[in-house]
Amino acid sequence: MQVLRYCFEEATASFWRGRRSGAMSVMTSAAAIFVLGALLMLTENLERVIGGWESAAELVVYVSDEATGDERAAIERRISASAVARSHTLVSKSDALRRFRADFAELASVIDELDSNPLPASYEVRLQSDPGLGSAVDDFADTLRGAAGVADVRYDREWIARISMGVTALRALGALVVFALVVAAALTVANVVRLAGHTRRGELEIMRLVGAPLAYVRGPFVVEGMLQGGVGAAVALGMLWGAFALGEFYYGSMIATLLSATPATFLPVELYAILLAGGLAVGSVGGMVGARRTARAERTV
Amino acid sequence: MIEAHHLSKVYDRGLYALRDLSLTVEHGEFVFLTGPSGAGKSTLLRLLLRQELASEGELVVDGEHLSDLTASQVQAYRRSIGFIFQDFKLIPRKTVLENVAFVPRVLSASATQQRRKTFQVLKWVGLQHRMNAYPVELSGGEQQRVAIARALVNDPMLVLADEPTGNLDPDLSLEIMNLLREINARGTTVLVATHDRELIRRVGRRAITLDHGQIVEVMDGDRGDGVVVRPVTAV
Ligand SMILES: Nc1ncnc2c1ncn2[C@@H]1O[C@H](COP(=O)(O)OP(=O)(O)OP(=O)(O)O)[C@@H](O)[C@H]1O
Ligand SMILES: [Mg+2]
Repeated sequence: MQVLRYCFEEATASFWRGRRSGAMSVMTSAAAIFVLGALLMLTENLERVIGGWESAAELVVYVSDEATGDERAAIERRISASAVARSHTLVSKSDALRRFRADFAELASVIDELDSNPLPASYEVRLQSDPGLGSAVDDFADTLRGAAGVADVRYDREWIARISMGVTALRALGALVVFALVVAAALTVANVVRLAGHTRRGELEIMRLVGAPLAYVRGPFVVEGMLQGGVGAAVALGMLWGAFALGEFYYGSMIATLLSATPATFLPVELYAILLAGGLAVGSVGGMVGARRTARAERTV
Repeated sequence: MIEAHHLSKVYDRGLYALRDLSLTVEHGEFVFLTGPSGAGKSTLLRLLLRQELASEGELVVDGEHLSDLTASQVQAYRRSIGFIFQDFKLIPRKTVLENVAFVPRVLSASATQQRRKTFQVLKWVGLQHRMNAYPVELSGGEQQRVAIARALVNDPMLVLADEPTGNLDPDLSLEIMNLLREINARGTTVLVATHDRELIRRVGRRAITLDHGQIVEVMDGDRGDGVVVRPVTAV
């Protein structure tokens, strides 16, 4: 406990003494954590959007107005028999019209001017959510397309998959950027801590000569790095929160529409903790590197 | 206490700072190391502090073979040694009290023990009234007394001093020497490197003269006036 107290006191004093250069390592740590947090926030929300789309992903089979009762029954049988369909509902021509009126009230008059209802009846098929069924669904859609009485088949999973891939790529790219930033932050911390160690070289030499345990010699470096990383992470969290609040304020309703009426979410609480821990970890690694470098440079640690 | 057997220290380019040096210092002895600049005095003290390793030969202190110590054993070994340098090596940012208390602190002594020992040694060197001063506010002699207090705070068995009076005038030098003599009188072995032959004469203890890394002369001090000179063939 004594050693912890010593390291903490030395580290805070040293951090304060070197607060100018300390600001630099705080900033680079903050940048790394900010980008990491922003990336997580973005992909998290994008995934929610996609998830929403996916669970709503439907295969819609439009029935031609000329289809006979037998043909309709055949279509319906085919759908019920399929392994990829979870359930289906029939949307009649008048249901479709009603929906259209509700969704596009200002266009309703246009429709009213027509003699007959132009909207086709359709089967809305909910698909199994198993992603492995991709090609089976494609086959299913193709056979339905060719079936008698089917006007058209609309199937949106393909472009959802493409967007989903885009998110994965974004995540990979982001991870790369975050990795580079984390390394830069750790190195900055290492250099700043080493600089601070240089002003403490008197103490370091005495400690070495009196045989102080390594924990007393190197501990303050690690704790100082941890403080820099931790403050950086706190700054980053504040900035993330601010960015989120601004985005929410200006684009909230748009985002909410995209997210099908659920508002965008800030990071979950565990992620705060993880980001903060990440900042502390980056800082202490930097601090350790700084201590080792000081040891080599001054032959005192 | 100290046994050196055929000790050599070679620096790069084949320079022998110490060459085949053998000597013995008894427990509780007070010994001067003297000789011209570059003779190897500081080198021997650095080997004794285990800051460097001998190139050849053996150095044994209190039964410990210094070349065999692991890193943590080196730490433990150094805790039994007090050191004093010509330039004091005080930390300018810390007060007198903090400079001395620093040592027990980084050796994990309890807070009460830190305070008790620190007060005790500062009182002993006569600086209890300057405890809250900073090193720059002290005279050279006072600064060296702080350094001595720091060397003693850990109750060392051996005190190594490299030119402890190099920056001080003759009166202050003698004062510092008297402190070292008192430490020695309490049983601590003391080894002092110095150029100051006059000081050695006045203190009157055994003096080993080095030149080019070898012992060229040993004088058995008579603890007072005259000095007995005994040329050395083997030690
Ligand atoms: N780190 C080193 N690298 C190379 N040579 C060194 C090193 N340290 C000391 N020497 C050489 O070793 C020799 C002995 O040096 P040392 O410092 O022991 O002498 P000294 O007796 O203490 O001299 P002084 O009275 O001037 O302090 C010198 O020739 C010195 O140049
Ligand atoms: Mg010297």
